[in-house]
Amino acid sequence: MRQLIQNGLVIARRDFMAVVATPTFLLFLLAPFLMLGISIASGIGGAYLAKGPQESRQMIIIASPTDAKRLGAQENALRKRLYGPGGGPPAVRTVAPEPDANAQQVRLLAEKERDVTAVMRGPIDQPTIMHIAGEARDARFLALLAEETLRSEKLGQSPEMRLSRAEISEVRQTMPTRSRQQNTGSGAVVVMFMLTIMLASQAVGTLAEEKSNKVIEILAASVPLESVFFGKLIGLFGIALVFVAFWGGLVALGLSILPASAGLASFAPVIGLPLFVILAGCYFAMAFMLLGAIFLGVGAQASTMREIQMLSLPITLFQLIMFGLSMAAAGSPGSGVARFAEIFPFSSPFAMAARGATDPAIWPHVVALGWQLLWVSITIAIGAHFFRYGVLKSGVGPFKALGQILAKRWVSKTNLH
Amino acid sequence: MSVEDDRPVWASGLVKSFGKSQAVRGVSLSVPQGSIYGVLGPNGAGKTTTLRMLLGIIDPDKGERRLLGEANPRNVSHRVGYLPEERGLYPSMKAREAIAFMGALRGLDWSEGRKRADEALEAAGLGYAAHNKIRKLSKGMAQLVQLLGSLIHKPDLIVLDEPFSGLDPVNQELLEKLILAERDHGATILFSTHVMGHAQRICDRLSIIAGGKVRFEGTVDEARATLPMRAQYVPCSGEDKVRALLPSDAGQSGKVWRFTVPEGGAERLVMDLVKAGHGIAGLSIERPGLHDAFVKIVGAVNADEADGAT
Repeated sequence: MRQLIQNGLVIARRDFMAVVATPTFLLFLLAPFLMLGISIASGIGGAYLAKGPQESRQMIIIASPTDAKRLGAQENALRKRLYGPGGGPPAVRTVAPEPDANAQQVRLLAEKERDVTAVMRGPIDQPTIMHIAGEARDARFLALLAEETLRSEKLGQSPEMRLSRAEISEVRQTMPTRSRQQNTGSGAVVVMFMLTIMLASQAVGTLAEEKSNKVIEILAASVPLESVFFGKLIGLFGIALVFVAFWGGLVALGLSILPASAGLASFAPVIGLPLFVILAGCYFAMAFMLLGAIFLGVGAQASTMREIQMLSLPITLFQLIMFGLSMAAAGSPGSGVARFAEIFPFSSPFAMAARGATDPAIWPHVVALGWQLLWVSITIAIGAHFFRYGVLKSGVGPFKALGQILAKRWVSKTNLH
Repeated sequence: MSVEDDRPVWASGLVKSFGKSQAVRGVSLSVPQGSIYGVLGPNGAGKTTTLRMLLGIIDPDKGERRLLGEANPRNVSHRVGYLPEERGLYPSMKAREAIAFMGALRGLDWSEGRKRADEALEAAGLGYAAHNKIRKLSKGMAQLVQLLGSLIHKPDLIVLDEPFSGLDPVNQELLEKLILAERDHGATILFSTHVMGHAQRICDRLSIIAGGKVRFEGTVDEARATLPMRAQYVPCSGEDKVRALLPSDAGQSGKVWRFTVPEGGAERLVMDLVKAGHGIAGLSIERPGLHDAFVKIVGAVNADEADGAT
């Protein structure tokens, strides 16, 4: 029995040391920090997603300051009476009437910055209300507000007698609403993220094959390591494209067979669906290459399956942080978080795809794709450097290399002066 | 043109450390064009590290290197063939594809690579295995496939790290012939080994590395000449009195005496033995082999290092 325990302890000691005495374990150990990052990122993302569409919805009343005051005095009471505190239709904004109030009403209803659900104009006893499809409730609320305003001013009137006769009409929306744009952006982020997490994560164990069968020695002697890394990524991307083409084809087939493709109709990017699909494809390629390069670089440091498994956790958590950040960007276009997510290289493809749904400008995408391509190169170069240093035991460490680069620059600047 | 530009492989003062352990401590090499050059040394001498530095797989901490006249070995990788010490092939690849793949890595067109692979496999007697996956080949066969892969793009310089290890005697002879044939076609061959027989048979020049330094550089004959000739002598009679006439290092095994031939030659000694009436029942004078020279050189290094350690 004692022998059995002793033997068991010998094996336990080896296994313990094999795990703990590796740099990979440090990453595993620090994984909770990444979890914290995820919590923060997903919290921000969730908050933006929750309040984003709500904040962007609005009703507008075109009225003189006097009428606006009269209506405003009744709005809260009516809202509270009908829906309780915090509930009911979106907030009401009042704007002063322009000479052509009719044109103003149409224009306001098509406002791009917000989802304007209904616009009321004209005298309170005979208002004209326009609403977009599916938002008749908001129009009815405005009509009731006009009625209640007059009724509060003319106390003692019979409840059966109507004081305000509203003319309500529905307007066919030509431009996508803000919330549909945001939903499109969020949808693109989710689809891209799912594809990336499923396909790019495979890069983690790719170089392990070459290391285990010693082919890496042949590769390292024949071609630059950067080429090896790049080739691996391209190969994996090819596999990913086959996957996407297969499932994309199936989905397209399904949508064409279905009588009403309501799902597709809800995708309403501001730049148009064809261009948005092209952009999303480009950004998927960039997301795949960027995250794939990280996974490849980190995974290349692992020498056993055990290490690869340990690396999977922090890598997955990192992906989730990028996802949370990108969802936050999709939920709050133009915000500081969105700008950060668009610039930060590893969330940039997702965040920029989301931007494509809400921002019609094309030039930011050209800049972003260039920026992301630059970071693909940088990430590959760093991955290859770490591999050369950590696995092949050649060259200088990353900090020393950085010091040398800075020293070179300093010397060349000094010489210039 | 300077020597370093002229030589296919030239290195000066290469130093490489792994952590606190210095694997190579200032190795210099100069391999003549069209020669077979051996890098000999015991296990852990720094042979593989030296070859990997020369090929640019790893960079030296100090020192200079030139491969086919280029300071950056990467620039001439398409003219170099390399068989690493640890053999590596993709197990799921077919033999023919594996060879073509290795050619493609060195810039050879895939279709041309496949064509050459078929020819090379046929010539090596492995034509029947061209479409077999690597995992189905024996270790020796897979090694041969890898060797063919490293030669498929007809390189000007062939670097082989312990090429004979793992091969049976028949394949070892086949490999020797292959190396000689490549040399005859104008290629320069640099190979490492710790098996002296191969080096003695095929090397034009060699370096003996021990303890991370080059301890000898020259031809095989020059290496052997570092040791004096040895004689084996069998007297006809008076065996008990022979000892007094022989050199001090003489030792007896049965009727045979073995000793180092004196510096002036064996003639005088032979005359003395005949005059003394011992006669000559048998006499042979042998040059020591490369193996002996290697053992002496490496042994001296080991002794020095042991002294240094104490």
